[in-house]
Amino acid sequence: MECVVQGIIETQHVEALEILLQGLCGIHKERLRIHELCLKSVPNLGVVTSEVRLLCDLEQLEPTWTVRHVGGAMRGAGAEQISVLVRTMVESKVSKNAIRLFYALGYKLDYELLRVGFAFHFRRGAQITVTVSSINKMLKLHATDEAVPVTPGIQLVEVTAPASSENYTEVVAAVSSFCEYLAPLLHLSKPGISTGVVPTAAAAAASLMSDGGGTAL
Amino acid sequence: MEAAPGAPGDQSQPPNKAVERLNPAVQQELNLDSIKTRVVSLQKAIERILQEIDANTRTNSVPKWQDILSQYSMVNLELFNIVEDVTKVSKAFVVYPKNVNAENAAILPVMLSSKLLPEMEMDDIVKKEQVLQGMEHLPVSAQIEKLKMRIDMIGAACESAEKVIADTRKTYFGTRQGPTILPTLDKVQTAKIQEQEILLRNAVNHGEGLRISTDQRQIVSALPLHLVDILTVGDGAQALPESSGIYMKNTPLSSNNISNQGNMLQASGAQAIGRAVASPSGSTVTTSFDNTTSPLPYANSPRSGTNMMNTPSPQQQSQQQQQQQQQQHQHPHQHQQQRQKMMQLPQLQQQLLAQQQFRQSSLPGSGQNQLGQLHDLQGSAQQKFQSLHGQHQMQFSQPLGTQQFQGRQLPTGPVQHGIGQSQINQGTQLNRHLSQFSSPANSALFNAAQGTPNTQMLFRIWEVLCSLWHSDPLFSSVADFKHVSYHGITITFAKNAVFNIGAANSGGMMPIQQQQQQQQQQQLTSQGAFGNMPHNAQNLQPGMVAHQNAQLPNFQQRQSNQQ
Repeated sequence: MECVVQGIIETQHVEALEILLQGLCGIHKERLRIHELCLKSVPNLGVVTSEVRLLCDLEQLEPTWTVRHVGGAMRGAGAEQISVLVRTMVESKVSKNAIRLFYALGYKLDYELLRVGFAFHFRRGAQITVTVSSINKMLKLHATDEAVPVTPGIQLVEVTAPASSENYTEVVAAVSSFCEYLAPLLHLSKPGISTGVVPTAAAAAASLMSDGGGTAL
Repeated sequence: MEAAPGAPGDQSQPPNKAVERLNPAVQQELNLDSIKTRVVSLQKAIERILQEIDANTRTNSVPKWQDILSQYSMVNLELFNIVEDVTKVSKAFVVYPKNVNAENAAILPVMLSSKLLPEMEMDDIVKKEQVLQGMEHLPVSAQIEKLKMRIDMIGAACESAEKVIADTRKTYFGTRQGPTILPTLDKVQTAKIQEQEILLRNAVNHGEGLRISTDQRQIVSALPLHLVDILTVGDGAQALPESSGIYMKNTPLSSNNISNQGNMLQASGAQAIGRAVASPSGSTVTTSFDNTTSPLPYANSPRSGTNMMNTPSPQQQSQQQQQQQQQQHQHPHQHQQQRQKMMQLPQLQQQLLAQQQFRQSSLPGSGQNQLGQLHDLQGSAQQKFQSLHGQHQMQFSQPLGTQQFQGRQLPTGPVQHGIGQSQINQGTQLNRHLSQFSSPANSALFNAAQGTPNTQMLFRIWEVLCSLWHSDPLFSSVADFKHVSYHGITITFAKNAVFNIGAANSGGMMPIQQQQQQQQQQQLTSQGAFGNMPHNAQNLQPGMVAHQNAQLPNFQQRQSNQQ
């Protein structure tokens, strides 16, 4: 299971967000470049079509592959009240032959995208990962070098934390409280809900940037 | 500090006691009333702040830190001023501890004493030495002068520092106040951003806007590094067609293309092939053909790992091409290939018809003819086996075999037995020569075998095949893919046909090798007249010649059904 929230930020404020995150997390960012292939099973395999994502981390010297299955979100009155989406998720590292295996099983490529940005992994009540990335699409199949952003001026911010059914309330609380720190720059919400940008984000970004300058006396 | 309460305490003593009055000068300087009012107002301010913080925690709202901090700084300043005023006159007062209890009785003497603590005293001495370091020999007045100069310098430095701080603070506050004047995003901008946001979120979560149509998927540029050794080019064509699934489209197509041929076997074979290859692991069917311009992507392409066959015969070349194209045409977007297929199919048909006719004309020699055809089958299959990469490419050969085989009618029993006998001999010979052939030898053999098929050639072919099967572990795993075929029997039979050349006919082929793997052979249980073959429900290990007359009855039955 995982808890996830998403938000958007204008590309011009990404640097300020990076400074803020660096201050909050206490660690340096990690670069992110992930080629995500979304595979879907053909209709006659199984009752419902299933979807599986293969993520290839291109930042490493040797590209590493991960397979990820995202399940349904938690539902109910309790789920409505919390501001974080809790959903089942299974993830595993795989060898590079995974894609051939899935093709052999009957999965077909539905779509693919490329995430370019940075991420912070830290522990603050729960193991939290914040990724700030621009989502790029490929006009030609698998052409990761020629990817163009889907929305040039806006980047996606995702805060995720793994959880289990026993401890998800604590993880939700940790993620929510962390998100409040990011309130000056962006609004975060469940993946289906759109939030808009923060109107005063420019001001907050300016103040972060000026502090980052650090005038020496 | 108890000095301040001490003074008013004294003054508020009942008049019957000897009222002690402060020195009026001190009293004026102290200005007790004003201090009292100030202290009271300070107390109220602090209470207000505490209430605000309390309210914030109760309602769980985010506190306005700027306000709170400014209030705190005010309070701080006020307290500092009060304390400063009082210390001015504190010399007139002595601390008189009122609230002495067991707790603080021990520490009071230490707190009341004006002498420094031992360590503080040591520090003091050290610092004095540091300050007067270079000046001990000078007269006191000179020392005083120097110290004064130092103090002045330090004072000047402090002043300039304060100035810089004030300046930066001004600019800092200036910028901070600026943004509140700036207008927030206007409606047009918000709408635009909203639009973009929806686009982005849908793209990430549901892939909307990222799907490439199946036509565009064909345009594949060079694969990125991380995919190049995983996917052969064109594998991206293995994609969800945007309309319905693949299966439905293929069947009518295949029947259209084949129905005019008049050979029912052919049709069923093509269908079988179509469906077999549409089986899940058929990805590289399109793969191998998509981006190759040469008709033979396998045998002589630089991509093939082992160039076992140098120059395949033109017959096989065209046959292979047709096979590929027939399999290609399942994909609805490969129209060109369909056209090519249409053109070439007659060729294949002709070949098979010719073969059939040839066979029928000379029944005694039919075994040889069959062998010859089998030879072709082997050769092309062999080519395929040799130069394919990856397990999932292996399936190619089976449908190939199927198709080729279906065009042939099997000779009747007696003839087959005769042939089988010679084949048994060859089988034993093969057994001896299994591991003696290297690739160049194999290719040479194959080339030599291009000519008139006869039993010796058959023997050669057997040897080649067996060594091939030995060396290529992929062979053994071919079985794994058989269960996905639509017409399992057909495919299995094809495989058997490949492995057991002529064994379909013989009654007594000895198994050349032990079988190792599980197989779908269980589907094809022995039903037939060719009794004494050991029935191998287990699989054909490469080179396994036996058992396949078990298949034969199935095929014959099927053939009769189809016909």
